[in-house]
Amino acid sequence: MTLIGIETFKTFRRWRTYLGFLAVLGAVILLEVIVKLNLAHFSQAYARGLSNEFVVSGNIINAWAIAAFTLNSLYIHVPFLITLVAGDMVSAEAASGTLRLLLIRPPSRSRIIVAKYSAMMIYTGLLIIFLAALCIGLGLLLFGTGDLIRFQVMPPQMVILPQSIAVPRTLLAFLFAILAMSVVGSLAFLFSTMVDNSIGPIIGAMAIVIVFTIVGTLPFESLEAIRPYLFTTYMDIWQLPLDNPVNWLEVLKYALALIGHDALFFGAAFFIFVRKDIKS
Amino acid sequence: MPETILRTEGLSKKFGQRWAVKDVNLEVNKGDIFGFLGPNGAGKSTTIRMILTLLTPTSGSVRIFGKDVRRDRHEVLSRVCGIVEKPDFYIYLSAYRNLEVLGNLSRKIAKDEIVSALEIVGLASRANDKVKTFSHGMKQRLGIAQAILTKPDLVIMDEPTSGLDPQGMKEVRDLVLTLSRDHGTTIFLSSHLLTEVHSVANRMAVLNHGELIVQGKVSDLLKGDSSYYSINVSPQDRAVEILKAQPWIEIVSVANEIDIHIDSGRAAEVNRLLVVNDIEVSSFTAKRTLEDYFLKITEGASDL
Ligand SMILES: Nc1ncnc2c1ncn2[C@@H]1O[C@H](COP(=O)(O)OP(=O)(O)O)[C@@H](O)[C@H]1O
Ligand SMILES: [Mg+2]
Repeated sequence: MTLIGIETFKTFRRWRTYLGFLAVLGAVILLEVIVKLNLAHFSQAYARGLSNEFVVSGNIINAWAIAAFTLNSLYIHVPFLITLVAGDMVSAEAASGTLRLLLIRPPSRSRIIVAKYSAMMIYTGLLIIFLAALCIGLGLLLFGTGDLIRFQVMPPQMVILPQSIAVPRTLLAFLFAILAMSVVGSLAFLFSTMVDNSIGPIIGAMAIVIVFTIVGTLPFESLEAIRPYLFTTYMDIWQLPLDNPVNWLEVLKYALALIGHDALFFGAAFFIFVRKDIKS
Repeated sequence: MPETILRTEGLSKKFGQRWAVKDVNLEVNKGDIFGFLGPNGAGKSTTIRMILTLLTPTSGSVRIFGKDVRRDRHEVLSRVCGIVEKPDFYIYLSAYRNLEVLGNLSRKIAKDEIVSALEIVGLASRANDKVKTFSHGMKQRLGIAQAILTKPDLVIMDEPTSGLDPQGMKEVRDLVLTLSRDHGTTIFLSSHLLTEVHSVANRMAVLNHGELIVQGKVSDLLKGDSSYYSINVSPQDRAVEILKAQPWIEIVSVANEIDIHIDSGRAAEVNRLLVVNDIEVSSFTAKRTLEDYFLKITEGASDL
């Protein structure tokens, strides 16, 4: 077993890890079944929301529309499920005393922290892939396929993505969702190296995500200036590939900002961990 | 010259403004069972944490197998097994999985190696049970199984018998002796009980308030020193007669047990005397506390 293998194995031997998958399973099924049962009502509401001028027809609530809608849970719900595991990666071992066991073995602390970070990323990736597979799979089953019609934010207008384009773009959106969520994971992971309990990192990381999200969306001009400095701004990256046309330069900028934050948070976690006196 | 396995040079650690460990120079030789003795708060755990790289020393260094433990970490720690304070394991994993995960951090471990290590410590039947369900004593034995599994040249244990009942203490003691005898492992164990160290160690060091007071052979350090022992024997009347006949044994009291006062070095002699006279000895325990010993060595260090 490699170190990453060992850390991943340990992560997936804990109940907590499956909480995220169970929550996603429950939420997606609930959402899609409710929409299915009230399809006529939701179709009308959706059509009205898209445009007052046109009469939108066809199968507008399809797997792709549902996926785009579900991705909105990335703001608060999914981050919480990420922090639940990421915030526990190091602190749980400090709290239970097993960090002592781990850090007197031959592998260096730098290799251990890299392995732990990798295990956290693997969890984050798998959770989003599970969300995508379930959301699209069940969506296709219940609502079938079709063109993706949605209201885009910038510039504000209705866009229609033909099915052939909607499919790869939706997959890309989920891929970017992994990147966005990795930043939340990295932040919780950083906090996890600083304390000996798991509640602190979860609450700390969630508090930052929530405050940043609120500050970033409040419609005050004075707050506009600080938006570029909030990493939550760039977590919107998943929306970009669903726009038409896609502003690829903006995609690049968002992706670099997210990767930069990952590097920053992981770098700090690394710095703290390799120097830390293990007193627990 | 015996080969030095573990050597600390000027090892010190400061927490805030207080020195928890100050200028400790330990020397553990190959094949030693080395007792690291000191009352609670003396700095034993802090020293052990520095030796095992959990704490960064404020000053000083640790050399194991002649190499700096920080610089040659992988090489050195591959040959060391440590149990620091409580034996904590992954409670959500089975005993087997714990050993698998921890063993694989050192080298590739085969399945039957794990099974046989669990057998030696008497945990084979619980191999697949989660450690959550284990008692403190079982976890301590699992710690020793880890030491057997990774076949280290040096085992470092921090108060391995603390919190155990007499039966558990005896099991751990026996396993320590087995490791030393059958595998030639050098053992470094800390304790706050003199009798504990006395019964297994050949060399020892005494730590108090973070500073090393003495270090040397147990027999040398306890020479010319007398102790109180309690013995439980049957038949008691005859035993008292036999003991009385020896001028070097002072009988202090006779109740359920016989309390005697003798030279520390002659405990084994008393035991033999009783046994050859067909007296059944069900227990033989030293009454002397570490505090007495400390008073003596801290007040009159010149006696030693
Ligand atoms: N993390 C810490 N922070 C501050 N002081 C500590 C810490 N750990 C231990 N100490 C102090 O260092 C001294 C030695 O403690 P320790 O090494 O645990 O002793 P022992 O293991 O011999 O009982 C004690 O006075 C203890 O209070
Ligand atoms: Mg201690």
